[in-house]
Amino acid sequence: MKSLAVAGFGLLLSAATTASAADVVVVVSSDSPVDSLSRAELADAYLGRVVRLPSGEPLLPLDQAESSAAYERFYENYLGRTPAQIKAHWSRLIFTGRGRPPPSLRDVETLADRIAATPNAIGYMDAERVGDGLRVVQLE
Amino acid sequence: MAAATMTTTLQVAVGLCCAAVAWMPEAAAEPTLSFDGFGTVGVVHSNEDRADFVSNVFAPDGAGHTRDLSPEVDSRLGLQLGSEFTPRLSGIVQVVVEQRYDDTYKPTLEWANIRFDATPRLTLRAGRMVLPIFLASEYRKVSFANPWVRPPPEVYQTVPATNFDGIAASYRRRLGSYDNHLQLVYGGKDTSTPGGGEIETRNGFTIANTIERGAGTLFASYSRTHITADGFAPLFDAFRSFGPEGEAIANRYDADDTPLNILSAGARYDPGDWFAMGEFALRESRTFIADFRGWYVTGGYRLGAVTPYLTLARVWVASNTSDPGLSNPEAQGFNAALNDLLGSAARQKSIALGARWDFAPSMALKLQLDYLDLDSDSSGVLVNPQPGFRRGGSATLVSLALDFVF
Repeated sequence: MKSLAVAGFGLLLSAATTASAADVVVVVSSDSPVDSLSRAELADAYLGRVVRLPSGEPLLPLDQAESSAAYERFYENYLGRTPAQIKAHWSRLIFTGRGRPPPSLRDVETLADRIAATPNAIGYMDAERVGDGLRVVQLE
Repeated sequence: MAAATMTTTLQVAVGLCCAAVAWMPEAAAEPTLSFDGFGTVGVVHSNEDRADFVSNVFAPDGAGHTRDLSPEVDSRLGLQLGSEFTPRLSGIVQVVVEQRYDDTYKPTLEWANIRFDATPRLTLRAGRMVLPIFLASEYRKVSFANPWVRPPPEVYQTVPATNFDGIAASYRRRLGSYDNHLQLVYGGKDTSTPGGGEIETRNGFTIANTIERGAGTLFASYSRTHITADGFAPLFDAFRSFGPEGEAIANRYDADDTPLNILSAGARYDPGDWFAMGEFALRESRTFIADFRGWYVTGGYRLGAVTPYLTLARVWVASNTSDPGLSNPEAQGFNAALNDLLGSAARQKSIALGARWDFAPSMALKLQLDYLDLDSDSSGVLVNPQPGFRRGGSATLVSLALDFVF
């Protein structure tokens, strides 16, 4: 009885985790050579360290608006950083001329269109927004 | 990160540029201009009213004696204009307004350089640019990018120069999950001091390497330059006039194209919820300029938008802080001047407790308490000592700063 309760609780817990992680997914164009990425590579791409595809082309990260819920959840879930930390990170690079933050797209439709049309681009969005021309990336 | 809030990117596509593009096969369709800014509005109070606390050793006065509540110590505004002429050729100009050596606020040109990306890994720059001596050198003035109100003086004041005029090469290489950044710079710099003097560095060579992997960063640099401090030449000429004994003293302490070496190493680990960082610096020259050793460690924990932090720091001097001077009674005044110079080197321990509050997307408010424990017979990092000031005591500072970027 007790072990059943524990198992049930564990199931509940894992369901909860899956749901929150599934909130925002990482996507590429369906023409992208990227099947899977490590979390470290994803973090590198979004922190301004160039991640190269097997072809030698750099992976092009795209951002949602800073004020969007997806932005906050993406950086907190996948990079473990708050928007304030991300801002501080970029102010270290901008004021040295060493880099600029990923281009920020106006809204999720524009982002989806841009990614679908750009094989080396990567982005993120709510799972239910993933439409034609996009593919969810498996994170290792 | 919304480009609209962080920067204003103007697309410049005038006919002139298009004409230039026509014969530059690699040029992008349109050169871009970017405009960014940073700043701090801060006040500092010191309980020691017979000396001043300054954040830049070349500032003539600060908090304590000159002002009970000084806005001059940390306040600053920086504006940066960047332009990408072609995908491989870009330029950057940064102007900073802050308290200067002459107590004015005339804008100073912090950076003005042209950058050429020879290959995706190799970048060449020429002009005025950052001197990469410390872990946070590149953004030591961008307080928003740093946890503290100001970089710990025990390390950062050992090299007050932030830029130089010359050339630089930077090589970035990714090795597995490691990101390596090697920088070589060559050049010099003239720095004006409050007394009306000038400190010149020439033939300065710096090699710096940064390794990043995930949340970790390791930094090390070595710098060798030749330093001349004209303002003190009359003092050493006076010593020389006393014959061989005086010449020996002058040769030991004069800074006349004399080599100066700096070695520094630092590390940072920032997995997200907390961070820790520390640096060690060593400066050496056979001049009156002290052979400093300094270190600090800082740690902080992020509780939502508030980050409390603690810094411990120490600076001491490996060279002599006094000299018997000449036995000739007529040289007593010169002996005293020399000993003043040697004894003024900063020696202290400090502890700083603070909190940073990221209350808006591009703004942070910081409150910091510093307790400076001055070594015996030292003024520590305090300057401008007044009659009645006791060396070897202590001082408590309270600082409030609002940092912003745009």
